[in-house]
Amino acid sequence: MTTLNVNSNSNSNFRLLTGSSAWLSTLIAMAQKELTIMLRYPVEFVASFGQVFLIVISLTLAGLMFAPQGASVEGKSGTAGVVVYGFILFMFLSDTLWAIGWNVRRDQKQGTLEQLYLSPASKFANLVSRIIVTLVWTGALCVMSAVLMSSMIGALPFNNLPLGVFILIMALSGTFGAGFAFAALTLRVKETAQTLANLFQFAFMVLCAPFFPFSALPSVLQTAARFVPLSYGVDAFRATMMGYPAGFPELAPIGVEIVIVTTFGLLMPVIGYWLYRREENIARTKGSLSEY
Amino acid sequence: MTTTYGKPTFTQTLSAALAETRLRMLNISRYPGQLVLEIIIPVIFAAMPMLLGQATGGDQAAENFAANTGTTNYVAYLLIGSNVFTLVSAAFWHIAYWLRFEQETGTLEAVYLTPTSSITLASGVALYSITRGLFSSLTAYIIGCLIFQVNPFQGDVLLALLFIGFGLLPLYGMALLFGAVVLKVKESNALINLMQWVVSFLMGLFFPVAVLPPFVKAIAYLFPPTWMTNGVRSALLGTGFFFEKWYLDLAVLWVFMLFAPLFGFWVFNRTERGIQRNEGVGQF
Repeated sequence: MTTLNVNSNSNSNFRLLTGSSAWLSTLIAMAQKELTIMLRYPVEFVASFGQVFLIVISLTLAGLMFAPQGASVEGKSGTAGVVVYGFILFMFLSDTLWAIGWNVRRDQKQGTLEQLYLSPASKFANLVSRIIVTLVWTGALCVMSAVLMSSMIGALPFNNLPLGVFILIMALSGTFGAGFAFAALTLRVKETAQTLANLFQFAFMVLCAPFFPFSALPSVLQTAARFVPLSYGVDAFRATMMGYPAGFPELAPIGVEIVIVTTFGLLMPVIGYWLYRREENIARTKGSLSEY
Repeated sequence: MTTTYGKPTFTQTLSAALAETRLRMLNISRYPGQLVLEIIIPVIFAAMPMLLGQATGGDQAAENFAANTGTTNYVAYLLIGSNVFTLVSAAFWHIAYWLRFEQETGTLEAVYLTPTSSITLASGVALYSITRGLFSSLTAYIIGCLIFQVNPFQGDVLLALLFIGFGLLPLYGMALLFGAVVLKVKESNALINLMQWVVSFLMGLFFPVAVLPPFVKAIAYLFPPTWMTNGVRSALLGTGFFFEKWYLDLAVLWVFMLFAPLFGFWVFNRTERGIQRNEGVGQF
């Protein structure tokens, strides 16, 4: 019979479960799990690629119907910049809502969320692992969509790369924070989160103007857009990458927009995670972690 | 003593189909948020290219649009596209998701043990889907037109409704065909997402199919929604029928009406028999 020597192993076990190396190991394992699940469904994998391309082509062709030369128009780099850079942020927000927020619901329905809370694994690593999947998967989709779109609408303007990357990182950080907050909301509202995710996606499509300039919005919506930090992310990112053409950025001077986006990128993950922990504790107290 | 069941009468079949419709209606009435979203989505969806076009085309937006599509009324043109998209999506989602849901919950196995055929139940789901899709898309079209301040009832409204009516039957034939694929590959969400966009792209969601490359255009003409969308746009906005006369375009939809449902039934039955023989009905 095999016996477990508790005294000799307890210290080493403890060391394995705490500290930064344990956290990193948990994160890698969880990200690997998410990526493995994704790769096990090739139909879904291929379909999502195809779907994005078709949406991109449909919207691009629609935009070109307003150009004098229609679908044969070339060299419209301004249009390409507005649509492509906005589309990148839209893709990330959309995938964040589903991959971080809705997948918590998936774990809840499958009962694995309850199991996770019985293990010593880091719950923060669980949320961050979903970000890694979003970064890998959505990042690849964005690059391919951007190439496709720019080949159709015109060469993509590519200016101020370091600052553009900084704004993108801050905007994504804030978006992921919003994803944590949505995950918290999912724990509370359960199945309704699906409808809410759709609603948020469409609210973003209107208020953050990812597919058109803010100037196209009616004045009431332009005012509303100014209250959404991510609007400044979209505006600052595309204005910077386009080399600040006349009229861009539209919402505020670029210096002000960078301050807003940086604050959003630094604060939102903290607020989002705080909200998630709060809802998590409520769910544990009420015993609703595995409620269907 | 064993009870044997004979072939159900027409009244019994109709009753079973209507019971399925009622069941679905009752179910969706419990989720009013979904219904509201279904009305909001096509309006927002059409607003995207509208706002982009207004911003890039400026004062010339309507003229440029007319040069490319045949009408200056881009609001109604884009709203028609997004609302036919709603109808197409409803057909694919409701039929395929019904089958997948029954399969996942294990009730599909039970359905195959009753004297009611799955086609009867699919017809009930189709009736529910048509009612829901038509309500959502017509409401969204009218609301969208009112928001963007264009007249929703211009042109030949009756003819437009004829194109929708005649286009629905082949559309559901296609949805059944797609249902067979779902039964076979046991996956619905990803496939429906992809399929609704393939069909929407081919039917000219926000643009005339004339802008597509010749090969893609040829495939687009094989899709009933392409004729339905163009028929509605031509009837309401005068963008031009494919064969120049409305009755010729409608005749093409009649051909689809005869062919698509029969082909859909045939493929669906064949797939059903295949999975019944190979232990696939109740597999998750």
